[in-house]
Amino acid sequence: MTAAQPSFKARAEAALADRTLKLAIDRTTGNAERKRAAALAAFPEFEAARARGKAIKDHVIAHLDHYLEMFARNATASGAQVHWAADDAEARAIVTRICLDAKAKIVTRAKSMLGEEIGLPHALADAGIERVETDLAEHIIQLAGEHPSHIIWPAMHRTREQVADLFREGHNPPPEAEDPATMVQSARRVLREKFLGADIGISGANFLVADTGATCTVTNEGNAELTTTPPRIHIVTAGIEKIVPSTAHAMALLRLLVRSATGGELTQYTTFHCGPRRPGDADGPEEMHIVLVDNGRTKMLADEFREMLRCIRCGACMNHCVVYRQIGGHAYGGTYPGPMGSVLTPVLDGLAGSRDLPHACTMNGRCQEVCPVGIPLPTLLRAWRSRGWREGLEPGAVRAGLGLWARLARRPALYRLASRIGVRVLRLFGRGGWIGSLPLAGGWTGYRDLPRPPGRTFMEQYRADQARKEVRK
Amino acid sequence: MNPRDRILAAIRDGLTTPRPEPEAIAAEAVALLADPDQARPRLAAPDLAEAFGIKATALGTTLERVARLADIPAAVGRYLAAHGLPPGLALQPTPALTDLDWNGVAVHQGIAPDEPAALGMALWGIAESGSLVIHSGPETPILLSFLPLHHIIVLHEADLLPHLEDYTARMTGQAAPRNAILITGPSGTTDIEGSYVRGAHGPGYLHVILVTRQG
Repeated sequence: MTAAQPSFKARAEAALADRTLKLAIDRTTGNAERKRAAALAAFPEFEAARARGKAIKDHVIAHLDHYLEMFARNATASGAQVHWAADDAEARAIVTRICLDAKAKIVTRAKSMLGEEIGLPHALADAGIERVETDLAEHIIQLAGEHPSHIIWPAMHRTREQVADLFREGHNPPPEAEDPATMVQSARRVLREKFLGADIGISGANFLVADTGATCTVTNEGNAELTTTPPRIHIVTAGIEKIVPSTAHAMALLRLLVRSATGGELTQYTTFHCGPRRPGDADGPEEMHIVLVDNGRTKMLADEFREMLRCIRCGACMNHCVVYRQIGGHAYGGTYPGPMGSVLTPVLDGLAGSRDLPHACTMNGRCQEVCPVGIPLPTLLRAWRSRGWREGLEPGAVRAGLGLWARLARRPALYRLASRIGVRVLRLFGRGGWIGSLPLAGGWTGYRDLPRPPGRTFMEQYRADQARKEVRK
Repeated sequence: MNPRDRILAAIRDGLTTPRPEPEAIAAEAVALLADPDQARPRLAAPDLAEAFGIKATALGTTLERVARLADIPAAVGRYLAAHGLPPGLALQPTPALTDLDWNGVAVHQGIAPDEPAALGMALWGIAESGSLVIHSGPETPILLSFLPLHHIIVLHEADLLPHLEDYTARMTGQAAPRNAILITGPSGTTDIEGSYVRGAHGPGYLHVILVTRQG
């Protein structure tokens, strides 16, 4: 997927003007923030667990080749077929080929952001295969013909009233009422038939366990198991950074993942999938395929974005991001939104088309504070900004503006004069403590107020203060 | 080079640190999990069954205790009646359950797409999180835990483990099953405006029958 037209600025402006979107985002992120805080309050060992989680991920990344080979060996021994894909196109081709060889007509899918990243939904459609999204939120956005706007709650941009409209159109018979419980029942009924009639089930993986060769999915709905058990073939697509040494290491990370994502302690279903159905097993797929996807990850390993490979895709950074909470996920334009998305999208789609994303950040540091594996997201966003500058990607106006500022900053007397004039002019636009509108800055003041500056600059106040101290001596 | 070799070569190019022997990597991995108590939640109560009960019921799981396995059919009958369900259910084909005297409850094997209720058995329970562990196998169809609206699980109190790591320790050196599943509460979703609804795709009701005595 690309972060192309319209521009980020245009998408963000449209999102800011959408009051319904703001309402929908606030309802879900507000809940997520409260529940996470409660889960952490009940887990005083969280800081130690976070340090451990970070160390586990760093260990795996430092020995990624070793663990990937171990995983592939053990998965193969369990009867699974392991495929390697260097990029999204290779991954799409492998999955489509398995589906076509199996003459699959219906494919059920359990939510996987990697599947979105490699463009699997489109690839299946192009191959003429009916794709059934089984996660409730993915089902909602499939009905709406949209992409996920959040990595945990892909349909969080939709209010319940909008979901009711989609279900009335897309469900036969339509739901009897518009409360969430009735609508969930309706989706359960509609999707139940699909689960049992599918030829292939596709899932992602939250973890790849090196010492058993198992893949791990976590869901609250139970859709992953209903996706992976009845069909003849189970396909897993997973990023190579998902590896952990053992099941016990996965458990240590699960404690962080679920609390950070939803505020729960464990999801309702934590499932390890190890190979296809065993002789005598009562159910399960006859074939299991695991597609290990690089798609830019080995490139990150070699540069300053290596720490981003720790990401366990919990979504806490976006739930706590002041920018995400204003514009929602779609405005970002890439597969992954929010702070983690603004670091990953330039890797996946190129910096030239996504240079606005690392700038859509106030550097308030909330994302790093809540990150369960301590990723220094603001530092990484700054790294993209510098790279954009070095590569000459910043627009002329920005370069010229910064040049002007730099010239001024090198002349202290002139700088102080300019700021003295500046604060006094700004004060003319304010009432009380705030400035509600400002010529040429409507884009800012249309959605928030600017603090009205005090009458004198910092340097003026500092001098006056120093002078007073002198007198007292 | 094939994609596998290309990816592994790219990793080795990117990793500038020295490459230790596999034994050294394994030792480092084990050391990362030392002193597990420092980085995991304490149990909700000193007694395993009590701690398990606190966690499980907080998630909407219901719980009852019976003395012996032989008490299960009567407990199941009561549960079905209390929920206005007909006196019948799908039964996991494990001798510990099929050998019981099911007089009064019509049990069957095989599970319908819209099965109202099913009874299975957990291998272990985990007190830390109120989870139940099931493994796939000849006697354990996975769909038995996902298709019914009411899922009843039998657990021996003696099979309660304190923490998640106690389960992984039990599995060390054992062959992993096709599916190992930790079930932690009834199926639920928060996908519509973050509001919690039970019974999304899996069971809307999870009932645990804790058997206090062996045999």
